[in-house]
Amino acid sequence: MDYTMQIQDTAARLFSEEKIDLFIGYRSTGFDNNQVPVLIHHYQDVEQLVFTDKSVFNLTNYLKYEYTRNKRVGLVVKGCDSRSLNLMLTENQVKRENLFIIGIACEGVMNEQGEKAQNCVECVMPDAVIYDELLGAPTGQREYQVNADINELAEQPLIERGTHFEEIFENCIRCNACRHSCPLCYCNKCCIDQETSTLYQGSNTTSGAFHALMTWSLHLAGRCVDCRNCEKACPSHLPLHLLHKQNEQVIYENFQEHLAGMIKDDRGAFYKYSMSDPDDFIM
Amino acid sequence: MARVGVFVCFCGANIGDFVDIPAVVEETKKIKDVKYAIEYKYVCSDPGQQMIRDTIVDHRLTSIVVAACSPRMHEKTFRKALSDAGMNPYLLEVANIREHASWVHQKDKEAATEKSCDLIRMAVAKSIANEQLHEISVPVTKRALVIGGGIAGIQAALDIADARIPVTLVEKSPSIGGRMAQLDETFPTLDCSQCILTPRMVDVASHPYIELLPYSEVTELDGYVGNYKAKIKKKASFVNFDTCTGCGTCWQKCPVKVPNEFNMGVDKRKAIYSPFPQAVPNKPVIDAEHCTMLIKGKCGVCAKVCEKGSIDYEMKDEMIEREIGAVVVATGFDLWDPKPYEEYGVGRFKDVITSLEFERMVSANGPTGGVPVRPSDGNVPKNVVFIKCVGSRDEAKGIEYCSKVCCMYTAKHAILLHHKVHDSHAYVFYMDIRAAGKGYEEFVKRAQVETGATYLRGRVSKIYKKGDKLMVIGEDAQIGQVVEVEADMVVLATAIYPYKDNPDLARLLGISYDKYGFLSEAHPKLRPVETAKAGIFLAGCTQAPKDIPDSVAQASATAAKVCALFSGDTMKKDPMIASVNPEFCSGCENCVSVCPYQAIVTEEIPMGHGSEEVRTVSKINEGVCQGCGSCVAICRSMAIDLAGFTDMQIINEIVAI
Repeated sequence: MDYTMQIQDTAARLFSEEKIDLFIGYRSTGFDNNQVPVLIHHYQDVEQLVFTDKSVFNLTNYLKYEYTRNKRVGLVVKGCDSRSLNLMLTENQVKRENLFIIGIACEGVMNEQGEKAQNCVECVMPDAVIYDELLGAPTGQREYQVNADINELAEQPLIERGTHFEEIFENCIRCNACRHSCPLCYCNKCCIDQETSTLYQGSNTTSGAFHALMTWSLHLAGRCVDCRNCEKACPSHLPLHLLHKQNEQVIYENFQEHLAGMIKDDRGAFYKYSMSDPDDFIM
Repeated sequence: MARVGVFVCFCGANIGDFVDIPAVVEETKKIKDVKYAIEYKYVCSDPGQQMIRDTIVDHRLTSIVVAACSPRMHEKTFRKALSDAGMNPYLLEVANIREHASWVHQKDKEAATEKSCDLIRMAVAKSIANEQLHEISVPVTKRALVIGGGIAGIQAALDIADARIPVTLVEKSPSIGGRMAQLDETFPTLDCSQCILTPRMVDVASHPYIELLPYSEVTELDGYVGNYKAKIKKKASFVNFDTCTGCGTCWQKCPVKVPNEFNMGVDKRKAIYSPFPQAVPNKPVIDAEHCTMLIKGKCGVCAKVCEKGSIDYEMKDEMIEREIGAVVVATGFDLWDPKPYEEYGVGRFKDVITSLEFERMVSANGPTGGVPVRPSDGNVPKNVVFIKCVGSRDEAKGIEYCSKVCCMYTAKHAILLHHKVHDSHAYVFYMDIRAAGKGYEEFVKRAQVETGATYLRGRVSKIYKKGDKLMVIGEDAQIGQVVEVEADMVVLATAIYPYKDNPDLARLLGISYDKYGFLSEAHPKLRPVETAKAGIFLAGCTQAPKDIPDSVAQASATAAKVCALFSGDTMKKDPMIASVNPEFCSGCENCVSVCPYQAIVTEEIPMGHGSEEVRTVSKINEGVCQGCGSCVAICRSMAIDLAGFTDMQIINEIVAI
């Protein structure tokens, strides 16, 4: 999977036609073929752009910041990234008319060990669901499968599972990198940071981390698209996907096989009121 | 500095017997900020309220906790006491130690006492964060919407309109009249149903304060009491009602025949039709499902024969909007489908018919011109068996409730049969005779004695065919023997069942319904006309089985309720509603999406810091918000709070235990 040339051509064309103010893509670090996100502002810089199976990050995260607001942006999205973009559009965080989206029919990206990443192996929708231009051959939606780690955890006795999660919370240093790297954590002021709130402890303790991470995972329930930007950003290397994948499975099984961000204007499992919502459980 | 007063109520023996109240008061006195705590026999009594008023003044209290029954019972009473003492009424907090403690823990006094202490601790903690709130005043739109044009809807519309309040009456079928129009004569006086109904129908059509919308359906209802907005779909009739004279040439010439719903499918009607001769409005509509012109584009006979050129095949459904203040729901009933009674040959034997089919046959404008005939061969029946409680009072096959009217209409059928066919004989199988009502018992006697109908107490176990006769096997419990009756026809007194679309309508209106589909009243005894949603009222069989006088009485009652609601220009509204803190709002509009009342709108505010850019945030419409709290729960950035139930108050409650 190498779309470097096509992306460079498209970016160059968009700049020359003055259709965009900036382009968000990937550039090589020159070390181990690793890549990092890059913001291109000028025509002459498009040669920096690359796209291979090392293009791991979700670039839609950069749409939530001040420097892209109300700018005309071109960007590259894989299947999972496009789903988070869909949610950002639905939740009015970015305007569709400001975007030029290069969608990728993704074949999966590599992890640090050079293997196909777990979320790509289990991916339900490798093709971009929203785009102006599509690169690659779409392969369509795949069957949903429960995360391997969750399956493994489910077999453990309750106590062991508790210990496992306690370790996660113990090792959290409350740096909030997970929040910063998540495209859907765009709130003006995160509830965890609100001074007026006595609900959350700001302290760097196990229980403080428990509160913060559990709240975070519930606020992403039905919205997380499993791009794993948070895990890549976490300096403590916490398996944060466990928090999200469990929610994803419960929602998939109980909310008409709901998957986040697959359709435009779908706000997710918890964020709509419908006359046909089941109410037979209410006394 | 908070100074909380706590009043603990014995509620006679209701709480006193199961909770150690003096111990609760002692415990309460230990709570920080509680400056005064006392027990009293009945705090809701006049002296009890006087005590609250005096204590507020004497002890300079800043908030009040009453530990008593559910706030649904007496919250208003105590709020009044607070405001009488010059205190903001919303500084009151009720700790429910009756329903939540004494009633549910009657076997464990110690635990009930402990729980009562906890409930009071929570209420005290919450009350400290209580803020002064003030009632909101909202304007009232003085127009009523009546859904359903049967006798209940007609009566409600007429009574409201007579008080010079504009009414919009929506009826889904082409004519008003409803079930009563299908009846022949009515018990217990045997006056002709249509003769007493049609003058009212004409009154509706000609009343200056009534807007009649036939062949229409309510599709949406937004807003709140006094300020509802209804969307009504006027179904395409394909006939221009303004020019049509109702001459009837079109339906005489129409070649398409379909089963006639008005006559319970006993005969056929045309694809362009008016349901019955006295229909109001007396204009035909085209049944789009069966008209060949509309399906295949071939025919067009009605347009050719119409002298006025009133037929318009291009007509589309039209959506209209009405601003209204109150709604009367009078959707009526359907007949219960007797299919589960296979032993009665339902569906197999043509001569086993339902009561409404019989009613149409004996009706003078019915399919057989007023004479009952056997559907199988068209002969006039001599021996007719009537079976009561088909579906009603049958937990195994039907429904548990009594349909109320079957005893009376079966007696009427027996009499009518005798009137129409003099040498006939009626056999009535019954479980009990329930004839409570003015002149009802006498009417049943008339059927038994004057008409000579044979009343057999017992259920029918089987009906089988012998030649062209039906053999009815049943029990006569009074002589304790099985009897067998040779019948020409069997009439099943099928139960009254709620109108099939009631659950959908209830969801649309935001009101509740029971397990059968009858719409639920607010209180079975003291508020039988209101629903739990303010400004929506019930009339007729939409709530429960009723006869005509009961339906009419309830309809008039709804009119009184509507008139009372519209008696002032404004209404007071509870201030316990949500509000948005724009500083924290990130404009995701998820609150707009979850609000069941469409109470949240968006507005643009400056970005701040001297920037010229704007951002979008949510804003609550005070008049529409009902304070349900859905938006508060859904807001991830905690930008929304609910007055009277703020995050701070709830956290205080949790911290207190």
